[in-house]
Amino acid sequence: MADGRYSFSLTTFSPSGKLVQIEHALTAVNQGITSIGIKAANGIVIATEKKSSSPLVDDKTLEKVTMICKNIGLVYSGMGPDARVLVDKARKAAQEYKKIYMEEPPTLILVTEIATVMQEFTQSGGVRPFGVSVLVAGFDEKGPSLYQIDPSGSYFAWKATAIGKNMINAKTFLEKRYNEQMEIDDAIHTAIITLKEGFEGAMTDNSLEIGICYCEDEEFSLPGEAGFVEGGKKIRKVGKFRKLVNEEVKDYLANIA
Amino acid sequence: MSIMSYNGGAIVAMKGKNCVAIASDRRFGVQALTLTHDFQKVFEINDKIYIGLGGLATDVQTLSETFRYRVNMYNLKEEREIQPKTFAHLVSSTLYEKRFGPYYCEPVIAGLEKDGSPFICSTDLIGCTTFPNDFVVTGTAEQQLYGMCESLWEPNLEPEDLFEIISQALLNAVDRDAVSGWGAIVHVITEDKVITRTLRGRMD
Amino acid sequence: MALVNLNDVLSFTGNEEDSAFDDAKSSCMNFETSLNFKLPTFSIQNLSDVSDIATAPVDFLKQQMSNENNSRIAIKKGTTTLAFVFQGGVIIAVDSRATGGAYIADGGVKKVIEINPYLLGTMAGGAADCMYWERELGRRCRLYEFREKERITVSAASKLLCNIVYGYKGMGLSMGTMVTGWDKTGPGLYYVDSDGQRLKSDLFSVGSGSTYAYGVLDSLYDYNMSVEDAIELGTRAIYHAGHRDAYSGNTVNVYHMKKTGWEFIYNKDINELHYKYAAEAKPSTLS
Repeated sequence: MADGRYSFSLTTFSPSGKLVQIEHALTAVNQGITSIGIKAANGIVIATEKKSSSPLVDDKTLEKVTMICKNIGLVYSGMGPDARVLVDKARKAAQEYKKIYMEEPPTLILVTEIATVMQEFTQSGGVRPFGVSVLVAGFDEKGPSLYQIDPSGSYFAWKATAIGKNMINAKTFLEKRYNEQMEIDDAIHTAIITLKEGFEGAMTDNSLEIGICYCEDEEFSLPGEAGFVEGGKKIRKVGKFRKLVNEEVKDYLANIA
Repeated sequence: MSIMSYNGGAIVAMKGKNCVAIASDRRFGVQALTLTHDFQKVFEINDKIYIGLGGLATDVQTLSETFRYRVNMYNLKEEREIQPKTFAHLVSSTLYEKRFGPYYCEPVIAGLEKDGSPFICSTDLIGCTTFPNDFVVTGTAEQQLYGMCESLWEPNLEPEDLFEIISQALLNAVDRDAVSGWGAIVHVITEDKVITRTLRGRMD
Repeated sequence: MALVNLNDVLSFTGNEEDSAFDDAKSSCMNFETSLNFKLPTFSIQNLSDVSDIATAPVDFLKQQMSNENNSRIAIKKGTTTLAFVFQGGVIIAVDSRATGGAYIADGGVKKVIEINPYLLGTMAGGAADCMYWERELGRRCRLYEFREKERITVSAASKLLCNIVYGYKGMGLSMGTMVTGWDKTGPGLYYVDSDGQRLKSDLFSVGSGSTYAYGVLDSLYDYNMSVEDAIELGTRAIYHAGHRDAYSGNTVNVYHMKKTGWEFIYNKDINELHYKYAAEAKPSTLS
């Protein structure tokens, strides 16, 4: 291998202009379990397959789709422990933002925050890149948005995408199925059948994790707050993220022929 | 002698109907000595938000620069204009950063929200915010300003009436304060423009 | 002191354990209300202050007059007063602002005290001290006239005042005053303060704004100037002090001391002077 002499130093470019460790990290991601993200007209759906190494594992404790803050969630493909560290940092970043501005961070702000962390781990001494790619789903004042962040720290916005083992097939499938008018319900449906393409064994509510971002009305009546009306309550729109519970997943699965 | 009254000054902001006004005196002095009467204490954040900084003049200038820096960074990072409420919390957290060695400054903020509703806010020197529905005041003529505002202010004032009320409140308040005055400046923020006028005040 | 000895009575607020209370109660039969008539309950705030007056009047006054506890006694610490002798007599000009801390308590104070038709005193420092002692000075000057069958000289009058305040030295009097008049020797101008200092000169300015007034006076003063110019000079000096000094301002009062006694010239608003002077060319020192 021509790059062999450079493949161990994280911060040394190979003569061909590559940082080989980052490419290796991406390889690790591509061996990970497939995750799907779809942007619907009224929200975002992220989904992944939950696969345990043994039927003896209590898979209730496994969590691959996680909430970062009220309006943002993410799913990863790749190395679980790396993702956990990243989620910790993302949650802290979100709360730091909220501490300063007293509002939830916009999706892109959090995405750049995560991407910056991932980039730093490609350039610092004594560390290695994260072996994960993440799909970040968020809903802010500009509407729903879906981002993918790779181990290199680069990020992209998607209408629909897939990461992990079955990414190429899944993307091809999504290209055929996607349309911009679909709503969250349709998107969940599409996500499930996309995952089903490369699924080994039977798909159950326990082997599927789904998170959605959507917009919700919220009542508020703090004096001096935006739109405060004396003696009356006001409604404002806020972005939300939540995971589907098993019963909901079961219902969606039942609808798939 | 409190450090908060070392330089003197008076600032007031008021809500109107679909408009807000903010006004300050223009004196810069060191205790009894009046040095200039064109000192800036009210700063534009964007065309919908103004902040008035009352208190120690050096901190007024340092803070105005700090807010300019932070708002510029916000605008670049988030690719959007900061909203009054968000800015108020930014001010609050900036001040609390120096909880145990504070800036000797008590800001008032006036702005219009996205839906056009008026917004005013004041904080103490370590960032405790209040959001009243009528007016906020700060500075060495605070008590006099409260007296004037309590008697002159009424709800739903049109921009021109609000201008008149806030001007009278400020000018008459500073005439009872030795270390405020020497002219005044008023900004009335409306949906489509900001009206800025300088006032002739007592020069003693 | 008497007040100290009264403490027992003054502090009586109807304490059941107090023997005086029991005595009173027994003499009032069993009616609580009539007891209240006989010994109405009251409390005196800050009783320690009462004994302070008696035992340490200087400390007490310092406490009452300090600017830190929002001075209960409004002291005219901030003031600008001036007087100068010229060929036409003496010009006396003062501002009219009274402050308690930064609060402007009054903008129309008369800081020239008319002691008698031939004597004027100016007021800086404690308003009450100046007012009281200059009135007392007037009384003593009148007695002098009865006794000596002639008007007192400005020199003698100012020395009377000086001797009085010297007797109270260190007890908290606060005065910075100029005594002016016209006597058998001509116009007179003396500076007397509560330290006991007494000075004679042709030109004085007293108060927090005095430095600004001196600046104007020193650059434009001329002994041979006309009465009109002298009045204008006094006015301008007070205006500049009012403009620069936060604790001086509002209006200027000008008096002219002549052979026939003093004459009140005018009262002018310093703010109006500001905009008048701003529109005019600056006076030249070279003229």
